[in-house]
Amino acid sequence: MFKLSEEGLKYVKSELTRYETKQSAIIRSLYRAQDENGGWVNHDVISHLSEVMEIPAAQIEEVATFYTMFNQKPVGKYHIQVCCTLTCGMMGGRELCDAMMKEAGCKEMGDVSADGMFTFSKVECLGSCDTAPMLQINRDPYTENLNMEKGLQLVRDLRARGKGH
Amino acid sequence: MHSSTTNVPMVKIQVNGQEVEVKEGSTIIEAFYQNKIDIAHYCWHPGLSVAGVCRLCMVEIEGNPRLQIACNTTVTPGMRVSNVSEKVKDAVKWGLDFHLINHPLDCPICDQAGECGLQDQYMKYGRNDSKMGEAKVKKHKVVDLGPRVVLDSERCILCSRCVRFCDEVPKTSELGIFNRGDRAEVGTFDGKPLTNKYSTNVVDICPVGALTSRDFRFRQRVWFLKDKETICTGCSTGCNVKAYYNKEGVFRVKPVYNAAVNGHWMCDDGRDIYKFVNRENRLIDAKLVSGGKTEHMQPMELAKRLGATLKGQGASVALVLTGSHSVEEYEAIVSYFKNDVGTTQIYHWINNPDTIDSFDGILIRGDKNPNTKGLIEVLAKNGVSTQWKSLTDSIGTGAVKTVVVAGPENQALFPDMKVKISELSKAAKLVWMTAGKNSELESLTGDVALLPLKTYVEKPGTFVNHAGLRQKTQPVTSIVPGALSLVEAVQLFRGEELVAKPVQEGEKPNEIGKGRVHNEFTLTRGVW
Ligand code: SF4
Ligand code: SF4
Ligand code: FES
Repeated sequence: MFKLSEEGLKYVKSELTRYETKQSAIIRSLYRAQDENGGWVNHDVISHLSEVMEIPAAQIEEVATFYTMFNQKPVGKYHIQVCCTLTCGMMGGRELCDAMMKEAGCKEMGDVSADGMFTFSKVECLGSCDTAPMLQINRDPYTENLNMEKGLQLVRDLRARGKGH
Repeated sequence: MHSSTTNVPMVKIQVNGQEVEVKEGSTIIEAFYQNKIDIAHYCWHPGLSVAGVCRLCMVEIEGNPRLQIACNTTVTPGMRVSNVSEKVKDAVKWGLDFHLINHPLDCPICDQAGECGLQDQYMKYGRNDSKMGEAKVKKHKVVDLGPRVVLDSERCILCSRCVRFCDEVPKTSELGIFNRGDRAEVGTFDGKPLTNKYSTNVVDICPVGALTSRDFRFRQRVWFLKDKETICTGCSTGCNVKAYYNKEGVFRVKPVYNAAVNGHWMCDDGRDIYKFVNRENRLIDAKLVSGGKTEHMQPMELAKRLGATLKGQGASVALVLTGSHSVEEYEAIVSYFKNDVGTTQIYHWINNPDTIDSFDGILIRGDKNPNTKGLIEVLAKNGVSTQWKSLTDSIGTGAVKTVVVAGPENQALFPDMKVKISELSKAAKLVWMTAGKNSELESLTGDVALLPLKTYVEKPGTFVNHAGLRQKTQPVTSIVPGALSLVEAVQLFRGEELVAKPVQEGEKPNEIGKGRVHNEFTLTRGVW
């Protein structure tokens, strides 16, 4: 059973007082819960939030399933979201994504690599066309101005960094 | 919304060239609705909050270059609106085409066909071939939403009426719309069953065939059913309903709007009570068991013979009544027992004394009788005041030799039926008049007479609900032709002849209570 940490609970409670309606606190609380649950949300997470926020579970589930930022399946330690919309697409974003996936050992979009390090998603425009092709790792600042070589090196670096922990 | 207009200032606007008056602060669609002017719409419902998501209720407002949605635009004095211009028709046509993009168009196997918002609007505004060349998105079909409701996601147009209903009426919020865009689907969190006590209302308000009633689906094509208004006799609220029937009996009931009684809704238990009126659950045969001999006969014949034996018997005869019957019936039978039999041994059988005053805050009341108030009123008028205990005592001492029971009409609502049968059958003679079949009653030996009664859908009558509101109903249909109402039984007891008055087709709709207004979703959707 998922439970927010004490800190997380405090955070959610304070979010609840921030907006005109409680429902407005759902996104921020889901983010927090997702972080505490290893990067994804499931029904346990939603049930728990529903209880602490006193909002019907169905309404939280609506939000969680509407936004793609909430992962409904487990993800690797590094969730790599590669932009494949127009500019990035033209600048080789899709090929980059395929090659990085291969390097990382992920067969399909959304899969977790065998070592638990990586999950890839193709995402729509992240608003950084001038630095195409680009990607975002988890919720970190963007990784931009990529090419094939930088992309593959990124996978190798991340793997090394991940193992180091 | 349809109640009195006291104190709220009125605003005059023009709708399709016609001047109408509505309360200040109303929306344009309310102006259409209250004045019975047709307007296409799916997501707006007079009993729910505004969502503004179906984009079908487009109107042109003079001086406003863009079309607006009528359900979320407030009227202003002198406003001129139209929904008959070419511009509006075109917008509705396209709106409809978008709704149909992923709709499976499986009308031939859809239970909603014949009362479907998509079909109705298509016949009015569409009649075009779809411009979509893309393959349709496949979604879940025959989803089990709970004991009463079945969901077909492909047919859903995401109007959110069902979601808002659960949020706003029972306030249980089980339903949500999950995922987004063309993958969005209605569902419950974690597949939990939809079990609130009002769940079948979502079937009524779903404008398409996405939500269907497990009880009713596939049992009849709706165009083979006729309907008439009556009330629900499931509890002392007395919700206004429409019963849908054919020669075989009643198939379903749906609520009819009455601001003073049930608003737009009814409870799930009330949906089921039509079942007891159908032939398979009825007592058909009149039967007289006397001195070890059993005779079967017409109910009329039995009533005449009973009358002859009851007359003038005085206080050795006791009458037991339940809150199931109409005021007229109580008046007839109480007067007969008082004046012709000569007894005031008249008892009120209360089926659920512990919960009788309970109320769930929405509609459901613990008094599972439609006319407890009416019965109490008639008894008081006739100076009858008795305690149940004195009946059982006098049966024990033999002071009461004959017990005549009238009711209950719907035995399922009488948990103490068995107990009462064994208690009352201790009397030397038992006459039981009831509508439903009952194996215990039918296997009683000793001196017993069983007389089949009509149910509330087969006779006219007045019912007084918990609040003292008198609602008069007319017969809906005939199901057990020989069965009698208590009024008829009394006439026969007295040796009078019955004047047969069969139920006429096409009789005027019933007049029940004031403030009743036809609501679109129980008639034909979107049309008045
Ligand atoms: S199931 Fe029916 S009522 Fe619910 S959103 Fe879909 S179309 Fe509307
Ligand atoms: S609340 Fe009472 S009267 Fe209304 S539908 Fe339910 S049982 Fe019938
Ligand atoms: S948008 Fe007005 S009825 Fe749906």
